[in-house]
Amino acid sequence: MTKTYIHGIGMTKFGSLPDFSMKDLLLKACSEALKDAGRPKIDAVFVGNFLGGSISNQEILGAIVANDLGLGYVPSTKVEGACASGGIALRQGILGILSGEYETVLVAGVEKMKHATTADVTQGINAAMDTITNEKSAGLTFPGFFGVLANRYFYETGATKEHLARVALKNRENGVNNPLAQFPKPTTLEEIMNARMITDPLGLFDCSPMTDGAAAVVISRKKSPIHILASSQVSGPTKMQDTKNLLSIPAIGESGRIAYEKAGLGPKDIDVVEIHDCFSMTEIIAIEELGFFPKLEGWKAVEEGRTKVTGDKPVNTSGGLLSRGHPIGATGIAQIYQLVRQLRGNAANQVKEPRIALAQNLGGTGSYSTVHILERV
Amino acid sequence: MKVYECCGVETLTKKYFCPDCGGEEFADREISDSGTVYSFTKIHIAPAEFAHIAPYYVVLVDLDEADCKVTTRMLEEVKIGDSVTLDKLEHGAYIYRKV
Ligand SMILES: [Zn+2]
Repeated sequence: MTKTYIHGIGMTKFGSLPDFSMKDLLLKACSEALKDAGRPKIDAVFVGNFLGGSISNQEILGAIVANDLGLGYVPSTKVEGACASGGIALRQGILGILSGEYETVLVAGVEKMKHATTADVTQGINAAMDTITNEKSAGLTFPGFFGVLANRYFYETGATKEHLARVALKNRENGVNNPLAQFPKPTTLEEIMNARMITDPLGLFDCSPMTDGAAAVVISRKKSPIHILASSQVSGPTKMQDTKNLLSIPAIGESGRIAYEKAGLGPKDIDVVEIHDCFSMTEIIAIEELGFFPKLEGWKAVEEGRTKVTGDKPVNTSGGLLSRGHPIGATGIAQIYQLVRQLRGNAANQVKEPRIALAQNLGGTGSYSTVHILERV
Repeated sequence: MKVYECCGVETLTKKYFCPDCGGEEFADREISDSGTVYSFTKIHIAPAEFAHIAPYYVVLVDLDEADCKVTTRMLEEVKIGDSVTLDKLEHGAYIYRKV
């Protein structure tokens, strides 16, 4: 049976990078990944990107990569799945290899956001909701959805804003040690708690930032020390009012369940995790949905420090979206970058000899989710 | 307002196919607009088109007469459990008020 392995990784600094165009960032991450892989012959390119067309007026990213890096007449494709664009692009590359069509594939993700106004970016990001609905007309936004979720979560569990703040603080502590992260400055629980409100109870530190950045990975059916054990992708509800249970994001749970089944593993087997903390609240829901902690008890695990680098289930050792940054199309690939470094043993916030790593990438308010499980072999 | 039902699942918007049985036949019925606040958020930072009315509340209302929720906008402070009802429809949005 064909298997897929990771041969190379590349990533730019995340943050505000006014001197680099979207193309510059994309090519920089791709060339780094190709060199890391030993410059193999590439059979196809997949690029995850969400806002290139709407705020940079730039598409054809696949062909730009193939052309500018001299890869030849290979097929190349841009993949869109909102904030899960990167994870879905990776899965497309894996499927291309498993189909037998390709031997080695370059997968990248990129976003350039900081040059645009907040209003334009917010408007662009709103395209990741179902925009022809009474919800959009009511003025619901992305952070709004997770604000509504958080207030109900507090009501049913006894968790408070301080638990959200502890997620943000942990991810900032991790991000401070990651030279590629957007936010190198330490913060305090007090600063997080008192920051200005975005969508009650979510404050500034509870929300992932706008970010410029790119990441890339080379995958192949040829053997390497990092095996991709499982890849899954699902779709979920696109409207808040249609969710059967507001405190569940079924796309996360279902993508996790399928990936565990494919890998023949369970949540207890995972040594290190990168999950999609677009908001602090989302990290708590995701650690529950992925089975690391019981439903409605993720906040207790946060309180007990179990998701810290020193805990029994280290989550977002890169700093996560909250502190590493969230260049939308690049996020899913940046998660893989961090996990490969963890498995190679040279990561920021290295945990002790991890063997199995899991990445979960979310799109929209639960419209898409991908899970990838990696294994050191 | 009107709700649509198949296989015991009620929704505000009529779907093409029932996700449970695959059928295309949906029963519909009129229900009262009144409901209970299930959860809410106060939106301080709004997209450009709503910036002029911020801060405002987006409120998820559990409808009294159906097993179904509706996303609404309110301008007054609310808490979970408050009784609310439709004030008006405005540009496709359900604007609710406390009762
Ligand atoms: Zn049915």
